[in-house]
Amino acid sequence: MIEERLVLKKTAIEKINELAAALMEMGTLIAPVQEAVGANFKTIENPQEVSLDFYNTVLSPKFVFFPQTENFLSYQIAKPFTNAEPVELAITPVFLFGVRPCDTRSFAILDRHFEASSIVDPYWRKRRENATIFGYAFALDTPPDNADFYSMLGIHAADTEGSDIFMVRNDGELLLKSITSKGEQLLSELTLLQETSSDDENYYTEYLARGREYKTRTLCLEQETAAGKFEEIFYNNDFWGKTASACLSCGICTFVCPTCYCFDICDETMFKKGTRRRVWDSCMFTDFTLEASGHNPRTNVFQRLRQKVCHKYSYSPRKYDVISCVGCGRCVRSCPVNIDIYSIVSSALKI
Amino acid sequence: MIANNPYMPVLVEIADVINEVDTNDIKTFRLIFLNREDEAKFVYRPGQFAELSIYGKGESPIGIASSPTQQGYLEFTVQRAGSLVPGLVTGALHDLGAGARIGIRGPLGNSWPVEQLENKNIVVVGGGFAFTTLRSLINYMLDEKNRSRFGQITVIYGARSPGLLLYKEELTAWEKRGDINTVITVDKGNESWQGREGFVPSVCKEVAPSPDNAVAVICGPPIMIKFTLPVFFDLGFSRQNILTSLEMRMKCGIGKCGRCNVGSKYVCTDGPVFSLAELDDLPHDF
Repeated sequence: MIEERLVLKKTAIEKINELAAALMEMGTLIAPVQEAVGANFKTIENPQEVSLDFYNTVLSPKFVFFPQTENFLSYQIAKPFTNAEPVELAITPVFLFGVRPCDTRSFAILDRHFEASSIVDPYWRKRRENATIFGYAFALDTPPDNADFYSMLGIHAADTEGSDIFMVRNDGELLLKSITSKGEQLLSELTLLQETSSDDENYYTEYLARGREYKTRTLCLEQETAAGKFEEIFYNNDFWGKTASACLSCGICTFVCPTCYCFDICDETMFKKGTRRRVWDSCMFTDFTLEASGHNPRTNVFQRLRQKVCHKYSYSPRKYDVISCVGCGRCVRSCPVNIDIYSIVSSALKI
Repeated sequence: MIANNPYMPVLVEIADVINEVDTNDIKTFRLIFLNREDEAKFVYRPGQFAELSIYGKGESPIGIASSPTQQGYLEFTVQRAGSLVPGLVTGALHDLGAGARIGIRGPLGNSWPVEQLENKNIVVVGGGFAFTTLRSLINYMLDEKNRSRFGQITVIYGARSPGLLLYKEELTAWEKRGDINTVITVDKGNESWQGREGFVPSVCKEVAPSPDNAVAVICGPPIMIKFTLPVFFDLGFSRQNILTSLEMRMKCGIGKCGRCNVGSKYVCTDGPVFSLAELDDLPHDF
């Protein structure tokens, strides 16, 4: 357990841009920005861009630690030998601002994967170590989006887990509470923040308590039951066939997912200059498992959708002791044919 | 600069290229580390693999065909892919000769469980191109320092034609040794073929290795595996005592990229070596 730190500060919402400017002086600020498609996390260049008026971002913030493209090596194709140089990982302190509780949970889930076993992914670790996370409670006075189901995964609307600093909105004010020592240190350095009263303290505490009662759609789901159920119905082709009948294999669900981490490593060259990089990939794509011999264990759409769902609700619990889904609802909102993983889990449990 | 970055290859030089088959699409590459420190770190066991890397093309996971008892070099037997997939890396590798430099990352994966195989009778069954890490295991067991630690060794190896048998000189040398029973077969011989003809499953039936204190290590094309397993079940081998090496598409080789995921396992780190009993616990998704 991380010791709960006691520093509580506040700022007026209309002065968010001043807080943003202060953070930009200390490092890189990544925060929600309104775009044509909706809100998304962006590296902030102008503090006025930062917006806390959003439900959740279209894309998950996983790219902050696991960029869509990560360059490993660069080289110049030459005769007789091509020499490659590692691409240096530029490290600056990162402030990741305004992350919803389901997304802060996703980082802890991905930690288990990228830091699992004896092999640690050095890129993930370095980026994680250099970031301070400002979690941001969901608004409790409006209903949750129909797609969300984070309550099913045991995540609360004002869940502080995974945040260094947790933010709660109180009308025109934003309360900021330190959760970790890193967050405490930062809050004490941000001198533009105001001190708080016992009323603020009470409001914050009550907000967290109300957050526990606030529910998205949910059903009673035990991790062990889910893991066992999906093992049991793995060969139920009738179920998987029906579930995947509309699936286009477009992969958008894995693209927007905060816990999907599959990647490809590939070389790209232009003229004589080349880069080896990792890029996001998706288990929904047919050639994902195409072997050199031509054999492909997942040629059917249903096999790939089954892989995605079972990976999250069965394989991950077995391997990392955690369901690798946070119920953020992004895959549900993004799916062009309205496939809903919550409904898949719910139907599976009824078999 | 990231120290000990598991994604960074180190350099090796191709010392020799051996054309293994008459179709010219399978070659063995003998590699020597350019840096002694890299060589000292590359401590491997039979059954492991490595990512071979050609800048501008990519990386391919290939089983290590040499045995750790062979000091000073590594060998990889590589088939040129390309009939069904682009085969960028293997194609480029096949076009390289002695003196060329490539990258290598590894060793990766688990291995044949050589400690568990000690004091057991070992039956090695291989088909076609899937003989490379079996050859590593055989040469490991035959090494003079190791031979006494293993019981009887029986090798049953088949290919479609005499020209497609790998490691022909080594096979001949094994046939002459008294401490290994080498049975070579081809599906169909030619005018000069003096040896046995027949499919691997039927030859296994004929040789009928005893299951007593024995472990079978079987690698080959799916069709060979399919018909060979029942022979071993009939002989009395248990599913715990039949080992194989699983094929699955891989990229990172270190359990991160998610590609070789089968059930709760990653073939690259939890495998590639599994017993049949272990495979029974996985969803049949490979």
